[in-house]
Amino acid sequence: MTIEFSLSKRQIEMRDNVRMLATGVIRPQSLAWDRAGGVPEEFLRNLARLATSMGSSAMRSGLGEEGGKEKKKSSDSMQSNLGTVLATEELSWADGALLLSLPGPGLGGPPVRATGTPEQKERFFGIFKDQDAPLRWGAYALTEPAAGSDVAGIRTSCRKEGREWVLNGRKCYITNGARASWNVVFATIDPSLGRAGHRAFVVEKGTKGFGVGRIEDKMGLRASETAELVFEDCRVPEENLLGGEEKYASKEGFMTAMKTFDNTRPIVASMAIGIGRAAYDYACDFVKRHYVMSRPIPRYAAMAERLARVGRGLDAARTVTWRAAWLADNGHANAKEASMSKALGGQAAIRACIEAIEICGAEGAIAEDHQLLEKWFRDIKVYDIFEGTGQIQRIVISKRLISNLKSF
Amino acid sequence: MISFEPTEDQRLMVDSIAQFAKTTLRPRIRELEKARAVPDDVQKTALELGVGLVAVPEAVGGAGLGLLTAVLLEEELAFGDPAAGFALAGPGSLALAVTELGTEAQAREALAPFTDGTPRFGAVAWGEKKALAERAGLSTIAKRDGDTWTLDGEKAYVLNADRAEVFVVLAQVDPSKGFRGLGAFLVPKAAKGLTVAPRSTTLGLDAASFGGLTLEGVKVPEASRLAGGDDFDAALVRFFAKQSLVFAARSVGLSRAAFELTRAYVDERKSFGKPIGHFQAVAFTIADRAMDVDAARGMVWRAAAAWDARDKSDAERGDAPRVDERECLRQSAWAISFAHEAAMRCGDDGVQLHGGAGFMRDYAVEKLMRDAKQLQLCGLTAEHADQLAAAAELGVPIDPALVLPTAETQNAFI
Ligand SMILES: Cc1cc2nc3c(=O)[nH]c(=O)nc-3n(C[C@H](O)[C@H](O)[C@H](O)COP(=O)(O)OP(=O)(O)OC[C@H]3O[C@@H](n4cnc5c(N)ncnc54)[C@H](O)[C@@H]3O)c2cc1C
Repeated sequence: MTIEFSLSKRQIEMRDNVRMLATGVIRPQSLAWDRAGGVPEEFLRNLARLATSMGSSAMRSGLGEEGGKEKKKSSDSMQSNLGTVLATEELSWADGALLLSLPGPGLGGPPVRATGTPEQKERFFGIFKDQDAPLRWGAYALTEPAAGSDVAGIRTSCRKEGREWVLNGRKCYITNGARASWNVVFATIDPSLGRAGHRAFVVEKGTKGFGVGRIEDKMGLRASETAELVFEDCRVPEENLLGGEEKYASKEGFMTAMKTFDNTRPIVASMAIGIGRAAYDYACDFVKRHYVMSRPIPRYAAMAERLARVGRGLDAARTVTWRAAWLADNGHANAKEASMSKALGGQAAIRACIEAIEICGAEGAIAEDHQLLEKWFRDIKVYDIFEGTGQIQRIVISKRLISNLKSF
Repeated sequence: MISFEPTEDQRLMVDSIAQFAKTTLRPRIRELEKARAVPDDVQKTALELGVGLVAVPEAVGGAGLGLLTAVLLEEELAFGDPAAGFALAGPGSLALAVTELGTEAQAREALAPFTDGTPRFGAVAWGEKKALAERAGLSTIAKRDGDTWTLDGEKAYVLNADRAEVFVVLAQVDPSKGFRGLGAFLVPKAAKGLTVAPRSTTLGLDAASFGGLTLEGVKVPEASRLAGGDDFDAALVRFFAKQSLVFAARSVGLSRAAFELTRAYVDERKSFGKPIGHFQAVAFTIADRAMDVDAARGMVWRAAAAWDARDKSDAERGDAPRVDERECLRQSAWAISFAHEAAMRCGDDGVQLHGGAGFMRDYAVEKLMRDAKQLQLCGLTAEHADQLAAAAELGVPIDPALVLPTAETQNAFI
């Protein structure tokens, strides 16, 4: 081993393929999807086929591989965390909402993979295997109207009745929650037990008592579906309790929810970095055209400084993100680094989008001329909110640095 | 392949420097500061560790281990004491200057005295007190007469000026060409007409030494001119970028030192009945500085690895892709300004979270805070680095004006 940052031949090939797709096929549609509030299924189907032929897990399932295999992967492979992070940045550069809309288990994949029994993995991942079947999604439903950051405070209740569990409550802001074939839903047997009372269920579409509430109208990522889920005496068969009863003897229940994040946070970080880089690239082009070619003296230096700081911030986040992914690929604990990547990525990218609009001046904010810039500005904010806000990342990080710190 | 794992050899070297930093430098950090120098016994141990010539190619008398190994070791030294890297005997920046700007024979000859195991210093003199108003470029002039060059002018802020036995002096060779008309010359301390001004009192990095040079009709032969291969300007910019990257590695070590001391303190110090680290404002500050340390270190590694990849011959590189010089410059510029600013934040928050105690010399954080500011002003400043990074990104010509003296002259050029 040696410290090294050049991509391998395979990685370069993969990245270039994804880049071609990103510039040639995805980016040209990006604005239309934003306006229409969704990506056409036909496009998603074609993309899924292409992704399979290219072997890119980032594109196949949105967030990680859908198979149940746990084997350690070489960082060179595209299925590795590093490979996924590299491809994710490229795709997100083209369109952020597309990545969240890709068919596959999505955010629901990691908990099923980490906690599901072999039969559950077979059942819930099995539905994604058939390429000719209608498109399918999985989703992850944790957030509730009264419990977002404070995950331990969820109120959706579950009680056992015979061979079924009965769920009651509401989930909100669930990505792909309405169209998902199944949602991983977190509920509690008794709120006073805190984390020890949590249970995770796979709730399938069409289950009696499970309904979809409103579909959110959002600032950005408008082509991604965000849904409210309603559970009214929703009856879930006991086989759908993730991992089976014995999994919940200790605090494991809550840990199930959290384990997911160590792998997904660097991916979400690279999504943010991709959008930030899109804005940065755009601003660089603008400055080249308007200031380098004609060189009005005092303003060039000011623009150059702004660009340098934006590029630098994105690169700092990228470096930390690569490291978090590399740690995971090599079997090292990475909870702290995963949170660092997410906190840095979100902020650096927001900064990039804000600065890019300012650099392009009045034109930047006028949707007609710089529609993409305006869209990225709207899309990026949520990356410092979902998958744990910037503040929550700092809690995760500081707990690993300060002795005996429980919570705030 | 992306990997964050050092080689076994690098790990062993890092461990031995870390040990030296922990057992010698850190416990004696105030002693070095008061002495405004590194005591002889410490010099001797450090020489045996051989940090100074790590990155110097084997062909010219160095260890040939590359810039990446150098930044790994520099970080560890600076973790012990940020001033150490500047104050330990060795060629210092002169090694980089002669390897980038000189021929192989010139570099070998200039570095030969540094390989004999005695503590000697080298220095590079580029800075000047005042930027010229009438034209771009340096006020120190080099005039040629046959095979002899005559140097006249004043240099300022020269690191280790009063200790060096030999200097690389930057001077204006062709005044009509501004920053594209510079030359570099090897000048021995004994040269007639060369006087070294008394060292300055500084904000931080007291064990290092900063001073000025006056050159009055100093004569050096043509053989002492470092011509920079076929592109002097590009070589000069490379020298500045690499040198500053080494300084940035010291900033990473400083950040880590301030961070570790502060993290321990917030566990220990209580207010309102609990450790101060249990207040969110304090804990989040710790988290932010931890991110600074990790990001700065990774960026310095990346830039150093990029240079090593660029400097490899085709045969050594094998399958790996070629790294272009602009990319190295951009990565370096980003890493340099980020690492220095991160160090300043770590020093500042270090003192802040120590409260009144932080302001007292009983604790090391106040020194680290002063050192951080001083370090930030050695080599490329943040303002230079930003202009260099943007120029590399935008395809603007890379020119020594981007790395040399002042913002005004840069603007005049641009
Ligand atoms: C587009 C979108 C998609 C989403 N997709 C999903 C999904 O698929 N599945 C899912 O389960 N959820 C999803 N979410 C929900 C998301 O994870 C939550 O919004 C997020 O975790 C924040 O929770 P909250 O909205 O309740 O904010 P709150 O928890 O109410 O936080 C409000 C503010 O207070 C701060 N804060 C809260 N607690 C603390 C504390 N202890 N210390 C310091 N500051 C604190 C927060 O940082 C934030 O700034 C999605 C959200 C959006 C916007």
